[in-house]
This record gives sequence, C-alpha cells and structure tokens, in this order.
Amino acid sequence: MTDFIKNPVVPLPDRMPDPVVAKDDLFFTEDEKKQIATWVSRYPTADGAVMRVLWLAQEKFGFLPPEAVQLVADTLDMPYAKVYGVATFYTQYFKEKKGTYVFDVCTCFSCQMCGGYDMLHYLEDKLSIHAGDTTEDGLFTVQEAECLGACGSAPMLQVTNGPYVHNLTREKIDALIDALREGNMPQFESVTLPQDENELGGNRRTDVARTTTYTTPPVSETVK
Amino acid sequence: MPKITIDNRTIEVEDGVTLLQSCLDEDLEIPHFCYHPAMTAPANCRQCLVEVGMPRVDRETRERVMDEDGNPVIDFMPKLQTSCSMKVADGMVVRSHRTSELVKRAQKDNLEFLLINHPLDCPICDQAGNCPLQNQTYKYGPEGSRFEFRKVAKPKNIELGPRVVLDGERCINCTRCTRFTQEISGSHQLTIIERGVRNYPMTPPGVVFDEPYSMNVIDICPVGALTSKDHRFKARIWEMSQTPSISTTNAKGSNCVYHVKDNLVLNITTRTNMGVNEFWLADEDRLDYKKFNENRPDGPTVRGQARDWDAAWTEAATLLSGVDGARIQFLGSAHATTEDNYLLSRLAAHVGADTPSYIPHIEEGHGDGWLRTDDRAPNSQGCERLGFFPVDADVLKSRLSAGEIDVLYVMEDDPVGTGVCALSDLEGVKIILHHYHSTNATLPAASVALPAAMAVETVGTFVNCDGHAQRLRPAKAIRGVNRTLAMEVGKSRADLHGTPFDRWYTESNMVDCEPGWVSIPAIAERVGLNLSYKGPRAIMAELSDSNPAFQGATYDAMGEWGFRLDVVGQSEPHPQTA
Repeated sequence: MTDFIKNPVVPLPDRMPDPVVAKDDLFFTEDEKKQIATWVSRYPTADGAVMRVLWLAQEKFGFLPPEAVQLVADTLDMPYAKVYGVATFYTQYFKEKKGTYVFDVCTCFSCQMCGGYDMLHYLEDKLSIHAGDTTEDGLFTVQEAECLGACGSAPMLQVTNGPYVHNLTREKIDALIDALREGNMPQFESVTLPQDENELGGNRRTDVARTTTYTTPPVSETVK
Repeated sequence: MPKITIDNRTIEVEDGVTLLQSCLDEDLEIPHFCYHPAMTAPANCRQCLVEVGMPRVDRETRERVMDEDGNPVIDFMPKLQTSCSMKVADGMVVRSHRTSELVKRAQKDNLEFLLINHPLDCPICDQAGNCPLQNQTYKYGPEGSRFEFRKVAKPKNIELGPRVVLDGERCINCTRCTRFTQEISGSHQLTIIERGVRNYPMTPPGVVFDEPYSMNVIDICPVGALTSKDHRFKARIWEMSQTPSISTTNAKGSNCVYHVKDNLVLNITTRTNMGVNEFWLADEDRLDYKKFNENRPDGPTVRGQARDWDAAWTEAATLLSGVDGARIQFLGSAHATTEDNYLLSRLAAHVGADTPSYIPHIEEGHGDGWLRTDDRAPNSQGCERLGFFPVDADVLKSRLSAGEIDVLYVMEDDPVGTGVCALSDLEGVKIILHHYHSTNATLPAASVALPAAMAVETVGTFVNCDGHAQRLRPAKAIRGVNRTLAMEVGKSRADLHGTPFDRWYTESNMVDCEPGWVSIPAIAERVGLNLSYKGPRAIMAELSDSNPAFQGATYDAMGEWGFRLDVVGQSEPHPQTA
C-alpha cells in the first residue's frame, strides 16, 4: 500500500533491450523467404503462417527478441502487436535468451504426484540455479512446465522444445546432463501403453529400438 | 423480417443481426462484457449465454413438424449458445435468464469464474458505480466466492500511454480495447499478452499507447482495468452530474457528457450519436475541460475597473451609439453559439455596421478525417450560415492603422491572442469584449469587458462541419441568475446516478458571467433595439423560420441527436478581399 501511495502510477516498463541481432543480420534469406511463401500459400491469409515463421525466426536467432518479432510482422505484413501477442502466448517461443539446453520439467498434476517437484529441485540443486534461471556458462536453463501430455511416463522433462526424457530418476538426470555436456542430445523415445506390457515383450511397435516399455510410475517422496 | 420468440414473447427482428443485438434493441437486457455493437464479437466472456432452439423440420417435406396442439416442435441446441455470435433466424426460440434456470445458473457460475482473479478493490476503483462487471455481479452473480486461494498477481498502475493507465488484475480479457485498436482506430498498439490466468492487454515492446483516440478504451472497458490518467481518483462517478452536450474542441461537434461536481467540469466522456461521432470521442475533446474551470473572469470591468453589469452594459451602449456605424467593426465568434452570433448581427445591422466577421481557428494538418478537424472552433459553420466571413487579418490591420475603426466589438474571442492583430494596432480603438478567460490577450486593451458564459454554461446551438446543428445544454451554473438557464440546468441533467453530492447551487466556483443572449439584448436595449426573446429556444425558432440556411432547426427538431441542415451554396467571396 505504501508503494502505491509513493508510486500511484508506474511508467510503462522499458521492454526494449539493446538489440541482440545486429541490423545487418536481421533478415530472412531468399531460401527462407521461399519457404515462408510455401507456408503462407497453405492458408487463406498470411496471418495463418505466423507460428511457423516465428519458429523459423527462433531457430535462426536462438530466441525472439523484439526486433525478430518485428521482422516476422514485417515479413507477413501483420501488425507487430498481434505477432507479439502470439509470441507471448506460447511458452515454447523464447522471448529472452535461454541456455543452450532448456529443461522443461513438468510439474502438472500427474508428474507432481510422481515426483515432478523432486526432480525439479534435484535439477536446481545440481545446477545451482532456480527454476527460470540459466547457468552461468549459458548451457542449461531450468523451468517449470505445465502438462506436456506424457502423464503415463511421469515424471518427465522436455529438452529444448524437443525430445522427452521419460520416467525421470536422479540417475537419469545425472546421465542426461553428462551427455548434454558432451553435446549428445537424447534420442526421441516413445513409451508404450500399459495394455501392451505383456505382448511382444511389451512392445508391438516396429521402431522397437527407440521405444521403452511402460513401467508403473513411482510415487513422489513428498507425497509418500 | 424473421420472427423470434424470446422468453415466450414473439418479436419481429431485423435480418442478419445477432441475437444479443436484437434483444438489446428490444430493451431486453442480456448480460454481456465482450460484445460491442461497433466491433466483431469474439464471444470470449461467455456471459451472454442463452438457450436457443429451432423448429424441427421434416427432412422429406422440408416443412415444420407440428405437435398435437398445432405448435411447432422446437429442438433446443444441446448446449447454451453465446447470443452475441448467434445470428437470428426465423422461428428461433430463445430462453434467457428470465425463463431458464439453466441460463441463470450459467451466468452466475461464469461470473464466479470471472471474479476468481479479479481484485474486488471496488472501493478504490475509478470504475465503481459505472462498472458493468459490478452491476451484473449484483444482478446475476453469486453471493460469494468459493475461491479461497491466493489470487494471481499482475502488473498494476502501469502507464500504458500518456493518457491511459492499466490495472492488469482487474482485466477480464474481453479484448474490447485490443479490438478497438485493431478494428476502429487501426493503430494496432494493444494486444493481449501471455495466456491463461496471466493474460492482460499490453503494448508490444517499444510501443507506447499514445494514439489520439486512446481514451476510448477507458469508456469501452467493462471493468476498471483501463482508467484515465487525468481523471484517476479525482471524483467518484456518483458525485458528479452528467450533462449530455457536445464537445467544443473542433468543428466535428462530437457528442459528449460533461461530468460536473460543484460547478467544476471534472471529466468528459463520449455520448453515442450515430449521426456524428458514433461511439467515439477524440482524446483532445476529453482533456479539454480545464478551460471551463480555470482563469475565469470575475464580473465585468470598464477600463480595467470592476463594475456591475448595468454600468458595463450602459458603457458599451454609449460606445456604440457615440460613433458612425461604418466605423464600428463587429467580430462574431466561432466559439459562440449561433443564437448569440445572430443577435450580434442584428445589433450590428441596427447601429449601421457591416455584417460581423469571425476569426477562423484553422490549424492546417490537425484533422484526420475522422473526429478531429483542421478547424479548432466548434461553430464556424454556424457563422458561415449566418453570412459571416472569416476575418482577413491584413485587411483588418490596414483598416485599424488607417484609423477607419473607432469601436471594435469582439464577441467571445481573442483577436490579439489568435494573432489577427497586435495590441499596438488597437491603440485608440475602443474595444467591447465578451471574454471567457482572464488570460484573454485582448483584455488589457478592452474598454468594456463582459465575461461570457462558455459552452458548458449556456443554452444554444452549434453547427458542425457537416452541417449538423446540435444543442448545447448547460452543465454548470453561473452567477447570473436566469430563469431559462436554471430551467435548462434542471432539465438537461439526466442524473444517471442521481446525486446529492454535486452542490451546484453553492456560490463557490460559480463564474460571474452572462451568456451572449443576455448581454447582447441588454446592450441592444440601451441603443434602442428590442432584442428580447424568451430564451435561445425562441431565437432559434425565429432563425429556423427566417433563414433558409437554418431551415427546420428548431430545438425540438434538434432534440438529443441534432438536426442535419440542408447544404447551402458556396458562400460568395469576401467583399473586402474581392
């Protein structure tokens, strides 16, 4: 309340950091433009392609600073505000610089019950950062995520909007971090359904090599 | 025209309109937040839910199936429908909260959801008392909330732009403000950012919400999320009287409401008039109220000495009758009402002077083709229609320096301040000045200074740039007691919130001034011209009869929404410049 009396009005926060992408680098190449044109042609209006183009910009520049959002808006001839609204809606678009590897640790209901927070806190302790922060070497970012749709293999995490790591344990996290430090991204992995457990050695799929068998999830220590 | 049945009442509605709009047109209230008649309906507030059914149609014969009593069988849609996005169709049957427990329950539950993260700080919220969320919660909402947890915190008191302040927590994400910038003003300065419980309207990085129409989002915001930086915490809505009138900042004459407390204009908001400004009002119109309160003169003066009104009028009459009419220059005013300008022209004709001119207030490049115009005065068109010409500064100056003018009669304007002439040009010229402000730059040279009532204190007519004649209604009281004014003050206050807090009858803040239609007849009487009318209503009645440029523009015809005058032919070139 005293804050309010002292500052009844807060100025609009300056969310315009110094540009990260140099002006000369802020463009889409001819190939990228061709790619964008094919995406645009799939939709009745150019607006439809905004998510793909934002994704392209994120892959190109690493994340989406305001100038990249502006570039996407100009490319698709859309209002800057609208593109910015889309970019902030999806947590997978990074609005600020993140580590090379981003751990989205699921702490939604199922994972929470099965130890999602245990895993999150273990990661935080191991990397000596808080959720939402990036390690000093710029390698890892840890953040909490809402349900990533893999409740069957809870607790789990996702690495940089990419592969999932299922049925997390502390050992798995240790191994994951060691592997990532050497630059090895985990492979895509599919988890079978519980009803498949007793058939074909637990797996009816053809891509056996990249699947794991369903196991009954553990129960969180904090819940025990 | 399709016939629909709402709550067992069959009405004929316009084709192609939405169900919600046709209900509102019939004065059937359906609670809603996100719907606005001027914008697309996103149907995201979910408050306007109703049960909708259509007559069952036989698939073979394409005819309506009837039951034993001969009534059509109605199939209701399995779920509630948002009436704002549902187009009406012939035979449609609608159950609203008046007849359906289900709808009542849905509205109540929806309000409980909307209020989960709403801060409920109504006691300190500027919107309280005028808040659709508050009103509808009282009418349709639950008694309490079952949400016993910590509410989501969002940015508060953020200055979105120079004129609009955002409270993110109060926002219910109806997106009216963002749709306004996208669809109406086209500035695209606002967007909803983040998602889920954390979203709120914001500008993108590096953008300030500073468009010249930004304050409209304050009016359309159904909660207190967007408030006026200027009016914040100044007064509660129920402490002010609301007078419907028109704005004076430009020639568009946008319809507005003056909020007055203790004879001080504290706020100006928009008033819907589909013939002029629709739902909108420019920021400049809203912020231009301090001129009604500040630097107002205190009674008439003669050569700088305070006098009573009688003495001042007599002195003015003496000045007018002492000289040859050709040596008197009358200046009418684009700020004064048509009635006052008409009286002035009658006075000028009586003393044998030329038809008055008026000082144009053109600011090139200011207009935008919408609600702002190059012309910064509200009644140039009224002057033109009376046959006044814009004053030619060079001609006036040369006549002044040639000593051709003995008396300059200036009505409600400022020739020195506007640069038409300099104080040095006016040496030796007797000046009769009706003025609004003690800062009027012509005032030091004035022989007789007669404080004039401003647009919020008088009764009269302005003609806007499109020839739309509209009435002014007195919003605040002046010291000069006048039966017509007192009656109009009483009549014009809709008192939306019925307030005993506006102490307009107290002497404080009452300006000692007189409207032109009191001053000019008083002077005229002293030079032997009878200009006594039974108020401006009678003046306009005479004008609408006698002058084809004002044909039909009686007070009754103008009413609340104004009267569109016929287009008159291009005025002839100015006799003095030709």
